[in-house]
Amino acid sequence: MTDATDPLSREIEGPSPRQMLRARALKHKALIFGMTVVLLLVLVALFAPLLAPHDPYAQSLMNRMVKPVFMGGTWEHPLGTDHLGRDYLSRLIYGARVSLLIGAVAALISGVIGTAMGVAAGYFGGKVDAVVTFLINVRLAMPVVLVALAVVAILGGSLTVVICVLGLLLWDRFAVVMRASTLQVRRRDYVAAAQVIGASTPRIVLTEIMPNIFNNLIVVVTLEMAHAILLEAALSFLGLGVQPPTPSWGLMVSEGKNMMLFEPWLVLIPGAVLFVLVLAINLMGDGLRDVTAPEGRS
Amino acid sequence: MNKRLLDRSALLALTLAATTALPAFADKASGTLNVAFTKELENVDSYFNSSREGVVLQRAVWDGLIYRDPETNEYVGNLAESWEWVDDTTLEFKLREGVTFHNGEAFNADDVVYTVNFVAKEENGVKTQRNVNWMDSAEKVDDYTVRIKLKQKFPAAIEFLSGPVSMYPNEYYAEAGPSGMGLKPVGTGPYKVVDVVPGQHFVLEANENYHDSPKGQPEIEKIDIRTIPDVNTQMAELFSGSLDLIWQVPADQAEKLGEMGQFTVANESTMRVGYLQMDSAGRSGDTPFTDPLVRKAVNYAINRQELVDALLQGSSKVVYTPCFPSQFGCIQDVTEYEYDPEKAKELLAEAGYPDGFSTEFYAYRDRQYAEAIASYLNAVGIDTDFKMLQYSALRELNMDGEVPLSFQTWGSYSINDASAMVSQFFKHGSLDSTRDEEVLEWLNVADSSTDPDERIEYYTKAIQKIAEEAYWAPMFTYNTNYVFSQDVSYTPTADEVLRFVDMSWN
Repeated sequence: MTDATDPLSREIEGPSPRQMLRARALKHKALIFGMTVVLLLVLVALFAPLLAPHDPYAQSLMNRMVKPVFMGGTWEHPLGTDHLGRDYLSRLIYGARVSLLIGAVAALISGVIGTAMGVAAGYFGGKVDAVVTFLINVRLAMPVVLVALAVVAILGGSLTVVICVLGLLLWDRFAVVMRASTLQVRRRDYVAAAQVIGASTPRIVLTEIMPNIFNNLIVVVTLEMAHAILLEAALSFLGLGVQPPTPSWGLMVSEGKNMMLFEPWLVLIPGAVLFVLVLAINLMGDGLRDVTAPEGRS
Repeated sequence: MNKRLLDRSALLALTLAATTALPAFADKASGTLNVAFTKELENVDSYFNSSREGVVLQRAVWDGLIYRDPETNEYVGNLAESWEWVDDTTLEFKLREGVTFHNGEAFNADDVVYTVNFVAKEENGVKTQRNVNWMDSAEKVDDYTVRIKLKQKFPAAIEFLSGPVSMYPNEYYAEAGPSGMGLKPVGTGPYKVVDVVPGQHFVLEANENYHDSPKGQPEIEKIDIRTIPDVNTQMAELFSGSLDLIWQVPADQAEKLGEMGQFTVANESTMRVGYLQMDSAGRSGDTPFTDPLVRKAVNYAINRQELVDALLQGSSKVVYTPCFPSQFGCIQDVTEYEYDPEKAKELLAEAGYPDGFSTEFYAYRDRQYAEAIASYLNAVGIDTDFKMLQYSALRELNMDGEVPLSFQTWGSYSINDASAMVSQFFKHGSLDSTRDEEVLEWLNVADSSTDPDERIEYYTKAIQKIAEEAYWAPMFTYNTNYVFSQDVSYTPTADEVLRFVDMSWN
């Protein structure tokens, strides 16, 4: 096996797969943009107490709806104040915590559920696959927003309830993608080899299958995170999500809605930030898919 | 992904729709006044709805036997020419002759007898029983004389006969019933209904044969009332001229509309009082509100003046009584809790809550006010788990005694007597969160006495104790804004009833 035309020995001369991945990632502008914005917002959320100029809960009814600085306001409140005189910038900064927390935790919960189901279905096949496929179909038949609205209406809106509801509802895409990926991977020779040397099932799943479907998982995580953030905003806008006085971007849009004709910035500012975050997460997800699956398979 | 982007753009589209001018349909030239209602009516038949919008239509389409002048509060005959008490529980009316209903049916004693006997019967299911359940029956003396029998002494009978009790045509009502009446209403009033499209609009036309009523003659020929739930849409249509009059406009928007200089903004007080109800009887379990110190702390924590100045605005006032100041018996000489957050914290510490406590806080309307109130409570250490419910849901929870703290309001059905509010909530009914024996006894005397001085004396005792014990935290009175185009001339009254018959074109 020392022939010069051997494919293995030729590959050693070129860059390693990891280096190629990095090179592709750096050339992908959308991915860089998305990652930068998400990273920035994560930092803002983490250091909210240091960054916020005011207490986001401090009400001052005598300073209601002060205009932001670019509309003739003062630097005391760079983005103005809301209908109760609370600093808009500070609420926006603390609102990033709510959005990212809900996005991350909901994606984590649904990721665990969906991945477990999908991998089990793909690996074992047969009856397990039939059951999981049935559950996925059941879940897909339910309209997410309606079910979330109904459950939140019954249990009452709070951060925990919203996270749990979204986490328990958004696992379908994980299950579908993980099942398909596992089906592909489990027929590979290295899985067969592991089975032949007598490795246990958990070992095969964790060390042979999971690492090879991880790329797909990351892409789904980003998509579902964006999905969860938008759903939280929608629920809060309808008054069924995060409850006041907790700052949430969806709630801020909802509270500004009544004055939309006269003070449109009350709606535009949180709306724009929400738009940028969701766009960035989606660009990041799309970018990751492009970079990790260059041949267009995903 | 496209679907998600769609959600975002829906909001954008809404903004655009709200700012784009719509074609103007009507104005002074066409003779049609376009009005918006925020809520939909369950039934136009005034006995089978309980909303403000229903009262507005009732006053336009039907007449009562008696009319109370909203300016002078004097009672004058409307469908009745005169009336007298035959004894304590019998009223005799001489009816006006020559009045006809919109469908041509003549008005006489049979109509009064039929209407009263129908609505007084509980099985017929009139929505607001309180409006009619004091009447026992009616009997005809001759064609234009009729007697109404009361179940028991009821000093407010005249007030009710001039308000919610209106007269229906007997032959038509017997045939059509409440649902038929709701779709094709027939009355004697200044306006007749020409079109009802539930959920969309009502069209009224001036009644050219309107009798010589104290309500006056209608001047505006045609009124088109559309149901538009969103206040932004209402304003956009006002800008574009497809609406001429909107009402119940929130204070912030009314202020901005006034600044534009193109509309008349009129503000009038209403009898509605906003208050915090605390579970002092401990019905919701082990709650800190059973301690008077905690209840006083809550009272000191609220900056009422700031709420009135910044949020409610208009003709709203700070109140410390569990009733509206103009109501008979609602004395104002009570303990007043001026805003003092430090004192509130001291009282909480004294009560054994140096670090405050946490409680559920319910509200059903005016989310903005509720949030501001919650923020005052948070500032003194009372953490609030805020819950916004529908009115009926909160009422049910409240009846079951599961509400430790809530932001409530009460409009007293515009009845100018303290019994309509104090006695409603402090006589150990299912909505009473206090259950004070002494207050109950005093209110029993005050409600049933016919001696005004004695009534005042006992209401004073009850109201003073309620304030002293801080059973509630009464906060402010409400107001309402009417905004209309400068083509329209109208002076609103303090009873929150929109009177089309008083409107005219400039």
